[in-house]
Amino acid sequence: MSRPKLPVDCLLAVLGLCASLAVAQAERATDSRPLVLVIHGGAGVIEPSKMTAAKEASYRAGLAAALDAGYTLLERGGSSLDAVTAAVRTMEDDPQFNAGLGAVLNHEGDAELDAAIMDGSGPHAGAVAAVLHVKNPIELARAVMEKSPHVMLVAGGAEEFALEQGMTLVPRSYFRTEPRERELEEALRAEKARRAGGSGRDMGTVGAVALDRAGNLAAATSTGGLTNKRHGRVGDTPIIGAGTYASNDSCAVSGTGQGEYFIRQVVAYDICALVHYRGLPLVQAVHEVIHEKLKRTGGEGGAIAVDPAGNVAMDFNSVGMFRGVRDSRGRREIAMYGDGRR
Amino acid sequence: MYAIAIHGGAGTVPRATLSAEREQCYRAGLAAALDAGFEVLERGGSSLDAVVSAVRILEDDALFNAGRGAALTRDGAAELDAAIMDGRHMRAGAVASVRHVSNPIELARRVMEKSRHVLLVGAGAEEFALEEHMTLVPNHYFRTPERIEQLEFEQRGQRVSDLVPPAPPAAHGTVGAVARDRDGNLAAATSTGGMTNKRPGRVGDSPIIGAGTYAKNGVCAVSATGHGEYFIRAVAAHHVCAAVEYRGLTLAQAVHELLHDILRRLGGDGGLIAVDAAGQLVLEFSTEGMFRGARDSAGRREIAIY
Repeated sequence: MSRPKLPVDCLLAVLGLCASLAVAQAERATDSRPLVLVIHGGAGVIEPSKMTAAKEASYRAGLAAALDAGYTLLERGGSSLDAVTAAVRTMEDDPQFNAGLGAVLNHEGDAELDAAIMDGSGPHAGAVAAVLHVKNPIELARAVMEKSPHVMLVAGGAEEFALEQGMTLVPRSYFRTEPRERELEEALRAEKARRAGGSGRDMGTVGAVALDRAGNLAAATSTGGLTNKRHGRVGDTPIIGAGTYASNDSCAVSGTGQGEYFIRQVVAYDICALVHYRGLPLVQAVHEVIHEKLKRTGGEGGAIAVDPAGNVAMDFNSVGMFRGVRDSRGRREIAMYGDGRR
Repeated sequence: MYAIAIHGGAGTVPRATLSAEREQCYRAGLAAALDAGFEVLERGGSSLDAVVSAVRILEDDALFNAGRGAALTRDGAAELDAAIMDGRHMRAGAVASVRHVSNPIELARRVMEKSRHVLLVGAGAEEFALEEHMTLVPNHYFRTPERIEQLEFEQRGQRVSDLVPPAPPAAHGTVGAVARDRDGNLAAATSTGGMTNKRPGRVGDSPIIGAGTYAKNGVCAVSATGHGEYFIRAVAAHHVCAAVEYRGLTLAQAVHELLHDILRRLGGDGGLIAVDAAGQLVLEFSTEGMFRGARDSAGRREIAIY
């Protein structure tokens, strides 16, 4: 190619150079705005002293499965909405996490589930609360967003909608696992003895945020709420702006923690408002809300977030937060505790 | 300055369908709620007590879409939502999808004051009401002939107003109040029956803290009314307070931007009332009208519809 004999060769060489330049440019463009998926499996992680190696390996495997299930979709050119749905669905089906199968049980011994999803390109949103017979609440939240004119449906009315959408309901027994039954028994005994139950386990929730190739942000969150909770209690998870929020203008957030505090502080939206209106970098906005505003009111928990440039924040004021992040720059991490120990 | 504003819903209220007599009834209902709330403030009571007493009166008045006379679901039942927020302590309480609580705003307040939760829904919320020694009422307590007629109109495909039954086209009824008391504490309360012919279990913005109801001392208190789904997506009430707090907009600018820019772009309409830290009241809407009232210690007293 160094000395082309024919003008055609010359032209081809130039075209080839142009094509490779275009590819390089496309790669740089992709690089400046990476594909990102961040997940959490709750801020109520087990105290480091009580975590066994086997348990830790099992949680890590669960988080990795969810992370890769969602990220694979992004890589194939799928939407952030599909990625967060797949990641959350995987954790709903994993009995280790407090969502879907293996969700914590309410006072009556039932799993009572909440979920929300938000598409930052609309913004569009869907949420369900207090459902008892829906295997994957995140799928139902998505159906509310895409197939109904509403944003939030609760309890029996939400399940009626699930049936109308052709979803199969499952019996309450589907969700109950032996460890959750034991936790409820402990909580009920503690309640009788007028002792406070352990707070650590009370902050399980699963969630995901993502940025796709088209630049769209999405967030999804799903939970069983609190062990021994009052029937009908709804936390921050299905509240748009509190536990779940996404807007292409600012950021996507999924929270986990003491829901009542997250609702009062409108945590997820507040993070995005600080980014959008005060111009704070994402990491700083999450830090301010989680470590200052939330902590000041006594609230414990954490949040994951991603912005349109692909910046990621994963922060918590509790002992730890099950979490994972993967992006197209080669980052892939699973972590549980704070700085000292992953 | 102490001040209170109330609303009884925003929407299309064709003058032709609202007779002079009927208009007088609405004005009298609004005046009763406004003055009851204002008297609480005048006596030195809290903004929280003021907004509850105003909203209670609107809930009990069958003309407004909240409590008795609420709009009916597609299966003909009243299904009620309400929320309250105390801007002083940043406490909040809300209930959704209750069918047997005569004053949902009272139950929302109990959730805030007597439980460790913020939001209770459905039968679980009613169980809590019973534990709090509240008396439940049968669902027909809420159903008025006008609302039944309105549901029938809607189900026959004739769009009617949620505000003034029966009167095309659809509108959004909800009641709410915001207040600032002598001590500078802000509070907001909202209560609704939601949309006529709504799907059972549908929850709008009213009981969603940050969407239909929000209060934060030193910033503002907001109660919204309108197409709830849009207000939820926009996190409307918190948006107004964030615009004041983070960008230094005046309350009037923040409300204007939300209704005429953000919500309009999303395709939603409605209205809201708000009060800022100094007691300035803002009452604005992007619909044809909003039942509303404002009163403050500087002598302002207004009731308006259009």
